[in-house]
Amino acid sequence: MIKLLRIEFKKIRTYKVFWILFGLYFVFLAAGILLAEFMINHMVNNVNQRMPIPFPHIAIYYFPDVWQNVAFFASIRYVLIFPAIIMIILITNEFTFKTIRQNIINGMSKTEFLVSKLLMILLMAVIIGVILTAGSFFIGLFHSGFTDVNFFSKGLPFMGGFFISLVCYMVYAFFCGFMLRNTGMAIALFTLYSLIIEPVIYFLFRAPFMFKNTIYTYLPVNAVIRLTEYPAIPMLKKMMGLELQDNVSIVTCLIPLGYAAIMIGIVFWVMKRKDL
Amino acid sequence: METILSVDKLSKRFGKIRAVNQLSFEVVKGQVFGILGPNGSGKTTTLSMLLDLIPPDEGTFSWFGQPPSKDSRKRIGSVIESPNFFPYLDAVTNLKIVADIKDKPYNDLDEVLQLAGLYERRFSKFRTFSFGMRQRLALASALLGKPEVMILDEPTNGLDPQGIAQIRDLISLVASRGTTILLASHLLDEVQKICSYVVVLRKGIMLFSGNVREVLAVSDSIEMASSDMTALAAAIAGFPGFLASTGVNGILQVHFDRPVDTAEINSFLHLKGIVLSHLSEKKRSLEQHFLELLQDTP
Repeated sequence: MIKLLRIEFKKIRTYKVFWILFGLYFVFLAAGILLAEFMINHMVNNVNQRMPIPFPHIAIYYFPDVWQNVAFFASIRYVLIFPAIIMIILITNEFTFKTIRQNIINGMSKTEFLVSKLLMILLMAVIIGVILTAGSFFIGLFHSGFTDVNFFSKGLPFMGGFFISLVCYMVYAFFCGFMLRNTGMAIALFTLYSLIIEPVIYFLFRAPFMFKNTIYTYLPVNAVIRLTEYPAIPMLKKMMGLELQDNVSIVTCLIPLGYAAIMIGIVFWVMKRKDL
Repeated sequence: METILSVDKLSKRFGKIRAVNQLSFEVVKGQVFGILGPNGSGKTTTLSMLLDLIPPDEGTFSWFGQPPSKDSRKRIGSVIESPNFFPYLDAVTNLKIVADIKDKPYNDLDEVLQLAGLYERRFSKFRTFSFGMRQRLALASALLGKPEVMILDEPTNGLDPQGIAQIRDLISLVASRGTTILLASHLLDEVQKICSYVVVLRKGIMLFSGNVREVLAVSDSIEMASSDMTALAAAIAGFPGFLASTGVNGILQVHFDRPVDTAEINSFLHLKGIVLSHLSEKKRSLEQHFLELLQDTP
């Protein structure tokens, strides 16, 4: 395992495209998280001008809410697409440069090749997860100090949910890249599906208000994003009487994990039979 | 002799085309084994199957007396078709990846780079390399970790004469160290220069196999004529190394099993009292011979 990761690391260590995309992900994420409160309160101010009873200003950086809020922003489609594109590039490069052939010729087994890519997914998810958890912790600490002894345990389910989202979404991307073998086509199709086709399906099959489950619920990308849904802002929740998520349920985790497992199975099956 | 590779009735179809058809051969240790055939004769497909890139439809093969596995591949250095490296990594990093996969240390990295004449450019990115340099880097990577067998698929394809000479020198050097070499080529001349044993493929079928000298033996002929053709035919039959003679249009075409000197023939016949009116060597080019070889069988 260590050996496989060492080989993978050599492949990306001096690869600029990888590091630029990886950096961009954090830039977008940080900008999103830090601008979010400002944007929300800007909206609140607008609404308040027409409302008899004004909404209170909303704070999203306090413990324990900060965990869920950061997890929510980090798994927005437009942000989550970055690590997915990185994964597509890493796998399609192997086909473009025929290095997958060369790796096998040189004595890597087909299983080892796939495992090394899956390990890369896990490693990237762990690194992003750790940075995000640390980031949320410091944002929370900076805004609220140690107010709650349990603040950490409340955060873990959301960070865990985000980690599963990230891993599954990167597995989807890996699957797409592996099957199409062409970088441009894989990125175009994956982006098109994630950002346009699924939202259109949502629009077509949207359920009446309050009914949460439709076909859309079970679509792969939505299943990933739903893991860390709209942040529970306690006051808003009480005022609106909405049923908002306040934990990550095991059942919702099973849908994307199921998709990811099927895709990994197909990839292994194809790898064994197809010519390289 | 130790068998390195044993291929038994290997077959592969691509749709209707039989790319490789019931191919069987054996390679023994230390042999420089050639697979000769025109483009599309199944050479690369065969090598791809032997390296587990393409699953065969039928037949089996074994490396070092064992069923094929990743561990057997680690003992083989290969250059198949084009050099495959990451363009954005330098030569050293690309080679280190190869060494890592093969479980080999980095200590002969400098040596193979020097052998390939790329030591000075070792920290340049692969994409900055010329075609010849890329081919040499591929050869360097195949040489990493002192493999027991080298598989080379058209190693001089597309190179200029200087590049071809460099690559051939390298192959000869490696062969002289006792490394078993399996070389696929469509160039008869190349196979003849480098290999000791050869199989000739056409449309996936093995036409010939055997010692290079036997399979590709070129029997040059010598043409001669005299006023008395019958006496000439009788006399030349007594020349050492005589194989056969055919008379066409008043010219006798004579084959020998060894290279002969026209002066030698002239003096031989002179002693027998025959005066020649015509005497000339007729050489067939090797390529011509190869083409004949391929056309002979339906």
